[in-house]
Amino acid sequence: MKYLEKPIKEINDLLKKGTIKPIDLVEEAFERIESDKDLNAYITLNKEEALEKARELEGKEVDNLLFGIPIAIKDNILTKDLRTTAASHILDNFIPIYDATVVEKIKEKNMIIIGKTNMDEFAMGSSSRTSYFGAPKNPWNNNKISGGSSGGSATTIAARHVPFALGSDTGGSIRQPASYTGIVGMKPTYGRVSRYGVIAFASSLDQLGPMTQNVLNNALLLNVISGHDSHDMTSSHREVEDYTRLIGKDIKGKKIAVPKFLMSDIVDSEIIEKIESVIEMLKENGAVVDYVDMKYLDNAVTLYQIIAMGEASSNLARFDGIRYGLSAKDPKSHEDLYLETRREGFGKEVKRRIMVGSYLLSGDNAKTYYNKALSIRDDMATEFDKVFEKYDYVIGPTTTTTAYNLDDPMDDPSKSFMDDVLVIPVNMAGLPGLNIPVGFDKNHMPIGMHIIGNKFQEAEMYRLGSFIEKELDLDLNPKGGK
Amino acid sequence: MSKYIPTIGIEVHVELKTKTKIFSSSENGYGQMANSLVNEVDLGYPGTLPTLNEEVINLGIKAATILNCKIRKQMFFDRKNYFYPDNPKNYQITQNRTPIGYDGYVEIEDNGVKKKIYIEEMHIEEDTCKSTHRKDKTLLDFNRAGVPLIEIVTKPCMTSSHEAKLYLEKLKELLFYADVSDCKMEEGSMRADANVSIRKNESDPFGTKAEIKNIGSISNVGLSIEKEIERQTKLYDNGETFKEQTRRFDDKLGDTVLMRVKETGNDYRYFPEPDIPFVIITDEMIENVKKTIPMLPDERREVYKNLGVSDINTTKLVQNRSLSDYFNELLNEKINFQVASNLLLGDISAYLNKNEKLITDTTLSKDRFLELVKLMDDKTLTSKNLKDILDDILESDKSIKDIIKEKGIENITDDKEIREVIKTIIEANPESVNDYKNGHDRAIKFLMGQVMKETKGKVNPGLAMEILTEELK
Repeated sequence: MKYLEKPIKEINDLLKKGTIKPIDLVEEAFERIESDKDLNAYITLNKEEALEKARELEGKEVDNLLFGIPIAIKDNILTKDLRTTAASHILDNFIPIYDATVVEKIKEKNMIIIGKTNMDEFAMGSSSRTSYFGAPKNPWNNNKISGGSSGGSATTIAARHVPFALGSDTGGSIRQPASYTGIVGMKPTYGRVSRYGVIAFASSLDQLGPMTQNVLNNALLLNVISGHDSHDMTSSHREVEDYTRLIGKDIKGKKIAVPKFLMSDIVDSEIIEKIESVIEMLKENGAVVDYVDMKYLDNAVTLYQIIAMGEASSNLARFDGIRYGLSAKDPKSHEDLYLETRREGFGKEVKRRIMVGSYLLSGDNAKTYYNKALSIRDDMATEFDKVFEKYDYVIGPTTTTTAYNLDDPMDDPSKSFMDDVLVIPVNMAGLPGLNIPVGFDKNHMPIGMHIIGNKFQEAEMYRLGSFIEKELDLDLNPKGGK
Repeated sequence: MSKYIPTIGIEVHVELKTKTKIFSSSENGYGQMANSLVNEVDLGYPGTLPTLNEEVINLGIKAATILNCKIRKQMFFDRKNYFYPDNPKNYQITQNRTPIGYDGYVEIEDNGVKKKIYIEEMHIEEDTCKSTHRKDKTLLDFNRAGVPLIEIVTKPCMTSSHEAKLYLEKLKELLFYADVSDCKMEEGSMRADANVSIRKNESDPFGTKAEIKNIGSISNVGLSIEKEIERQTKLYDNGETFKEQTRRFDDKLGDTVLMRVKETGNDYRYFPEPDIPFVIITDEMIENVKKTIPMLPDERREVYKNLGVSDINTTKLVQNRSLSDYFNELLNEKINFQVASNLLLGDISAYLNKNEKLITDTTLSKDRFLELVKLMDDKTLTSKNLKDILDDILESDKSIKDIIKEKGIENITDDKEIREVIKTIIEANPESVNDYKNGHDRAIKFLMGQVMKETKGKVNPGLAMEILTEELK
């Protein structure tokens, strides 16, 4: 049984003809997941309900490409009646009473939710090692991280368990793990996808996006999850386009900027070389590529920390043991309830970020740090605007290194932010960013290229992504054999 | 007289009269079963986001307009971060840096002297949930969580409890008339905090202030301010000082009680609410809201007076918005407005109170009321007649004239006929006439009684009295 690795259109045809049923896909997905249990990709599996849903779909018309297809959901996205933990002890008994808007949309298309994927606790981290449930492993090398915070989604996609997964990206959390595991990951424009029902980390940066094995699937899932949501005032009213429409189209004459900072010595030489070779290939195919200077890119991480931790300290205040989640036993007072619940429930990194964030917003610090960061962030967005006046894309590597070892030390708190130094500016400017696998390092660990587009130019980015995908024609199956 | 000058500032929270809550689609209601008007947003559930209720912005604009405030054209919301069980997200969405209204005033009148009470700012925010303490347990009712509020903050510009009370009465009247809030202090839809300090001379800096929180009635605001001034005066007189503090008014004690001494560095870690984009208020929005503002109390009082309504009736009418609204429909008619107001405030009010109805719940259409006013004014109907037929007037659709006919009310309105009767009575009662002429006023009342007896009460007493007086000359 190897249906799940077939192109989506073939699976769809087989479903339409009745050669296979949704339940065949669901059973196959669980077989794959169960044989890869040690990858620790999932926090909660939805087996019984998924099988039941598959049976339910048997009588129904196969009315769209994603009908009956298994999908994995990152565990910070609320699923009604299905445990949602954000990889935190404080929510490890939390059963939501409502579906996130994206989950509603996925259910409308009759996709089948297979389970909730592992991640960094509250999406705070870049290796998924802050998960209360232990880190997921990289399918290319089980001693390596699969990145974070959407590490579980990256693992399950790279390992070919399911064709679709949802991730969330606050400061690279879709694109960086996608790069480490050799998959396609899109962080859409801020506001393209509703955040309603996503456990907030940093509200002004969080965005959901698709993680898939190829560009077409990625665009198909973006088609489903995009659009204005009356429950999310920051979601855009802009009409949803068909994000697949430019896939496979020519790139001749397209203008590409490569910021020098992204190709500087902060990046491993092996990765630089790989990106350079892709740039050569693009030039040969008629693209115009210029190296450019861009201001503020080197400040992005600092600004990001201020904004993300400030917002997080407030967003995570609601976990107090009163209405849901973990609640400390026999508290002496309500203060005691807060202290005990949060001490027991939150992990070290989350506590650290709440404390730093609270400090950053305290008294005059709010002016010195948070408000100033917001204003420099505007400048950064303006800097990107300027580049996009002349160029269609900004490209560079997604990460400075390939995936590192699971047992690398975690004692340097700034390391986890520096892992995302190349992807964070995109969140700061609210732009879309796409990771495309472009090759491997000497240890055969995947290398990713980062394509940044102007606001709402996701379809254009898929054009370039699909072109690279087709030209390089890599074998991206960790077990080999495409 | 106290030798200190009090300085008083008032903060008022009013709940806005909207259909739904400020950030969710839950109903905004009072007195319902606990936790029945609640959804995941009100509970501060993970993943929930606020959606701003447009009605709240419109009522905010309305309140700002009637309080003579400038309106902020571009505003945002802020998060006020603090942990408390009644605060579902452990932050409250409010407006710290860009309040919707600022630099306004409310005009009060104290013994004919007008004074402006200046409004520093007014902002929009969400209400917390309601906590009830039972022994060692605290019960939370989230029906109130997310009810829209505006907080109205005056400058420290009042100098007596009397002024504070006048301000609150005026504020309440304005917000109620503009349909911003129902302003029921007993239900908590209007709540007041008073900041009180005293100082020796006007040139001195303000004294240390005490804030009295959540006072439940206007009279208690007055009382608590007086008690606080008294307390501070005693302290200063004894050469003592005190720390800035928060107090509450204890109903049973009839005095203020210390809640907490203000901690230094109370830090709410305000920052702009990232889940709500900037709100742009256009001139068009403001104009549209202005069109919905009805005639306000001050103007009503002015208009009624100019129409010849007595001071007492004017005051009473404005105290009853539904009657005043009804009265306002008549302003272009040519009628005796004093008679009209007497009718509304007299027997009709008595009927409405007894039956717990509003005037709009009765069958008294504008045309029928005008007919009634004319019949009373030209003395076709006596007030005794009115009492007999009032139920019919207010409960049936028949014309007043038909009702009069049905009830067999045939008043003698012919002067000549009345004069004949009176002449007969004067002839038959020479002693009483004599008594009257000798200055015994009581005699005329006896003669009037005879007239009423003779006519079986069918003459208009006023008219009969006029003729009787003439005939006795």
